[in-house]
Amino acid sequence: MYSVALVSAVFVVLLILSYPSRFVQSVSVYGCMLLSLFMVFVYSPTEKVQGIVQKIFYFHVSIALTMFIAFFVVFIASIMYLWKKSDWWDQIAFSSAEIGTLFCTLVLLTGPIWARPIWGTWWTWDPTLTLTLILWLIYVAYLMLRADAYDVKRARLAAIVGIVGFLDVPLIRWSVEKWRTLHPKPVVIQEGGTTGLTPDMLLTFLVCLGTFILLYFYLLRQRVSLAQSQYLLDTLRREIDEGLPG
Amino acid sequence: MRVCRGERERVKNLWYLFAAYSVIWTALFMYAARLSRKHKELEEELRLLQAQVAKALAK
Repeated sequence: MYSVALVSAVFVVLLILSYPSRFVQSVSVYGCMLLSLFMVFVYSPTEKVQGIVQKIFYFHVSIALTMFIAFFVVFIASIMYLWKKSDWWDQIAFSSAEIGTLFCTLVLLTGPIWARPIWGTWWTWDPTLTLTLILWLIYVAYLMLRADAYDVKRARLAAIVGIVGFLDVPLIRWSVEKWRTLHPKPVVIQEGGTTGLTPDMLLTFLVCLGTFILLYFYLLRQRVSLAQSQYLLDTLRREIDEGLPG
Repeated sequence: MRVCRGERERVKNLWYLFAAYSVIWTALFMYAARLSRKHKELEEELRLLQAQVAKALAK
């Protein structure tokens, strides 16, 4: 049943993103966000041990997984940029890095808010948390490299940072699965392919995950469009400055 | 994860839940607003450039 739901969700996401109207895309994204909130606060049951604060899980984990997708896109686009030297790949990498960093910031903010009532502390230098903080610092450095106007040398250096930075992602995943730490082990898919969630919790989680993936691709499309416009405008301005006296 | 249905659900730590969801929504809306503002700035810059080109061509 859930594989059918997942395939349907992917199909809906692709359908929405392929629709040319920006208005329809925006409405769909906001609609999915509202549906997610309904699923989290009305549909899904309250967990017995943690109580209502466990509901942070649905958005926290969905954002974390979407963040991994965003940084994977940076990784692929950076390799393609270094290989093909096409500005389009650079714009994709930069845009995805910006959104991935936003999502990483949200993971680092919502994690401690969840940890405080459950672990009794806001932060601990646990390997998973520390590696996530390192990931955030790497991509903040990436964005700082790209803060000024477009420069080929900086773009290439940023691409290398984007590729190397992604190596932290499998480490985080590995630390969650194998390291004996305060951070809980995977709940959605456990060892042996079973799930630690009840069916209604799993469905709520899948809806939230689908929503954030849709939101990511929606924001990526907007951000790439903006980056392309900025690039064209900069080129035009340069040409005018060179061609027009005064 | 066990589920308690039928019995009174323990509603505790509501503040943390509110804080987490507020952080997420505020950040997402701020980012969307920033994209929208940048888009407007680019349109304005493009209008200025067009005016500059038109002025230069008229000379």
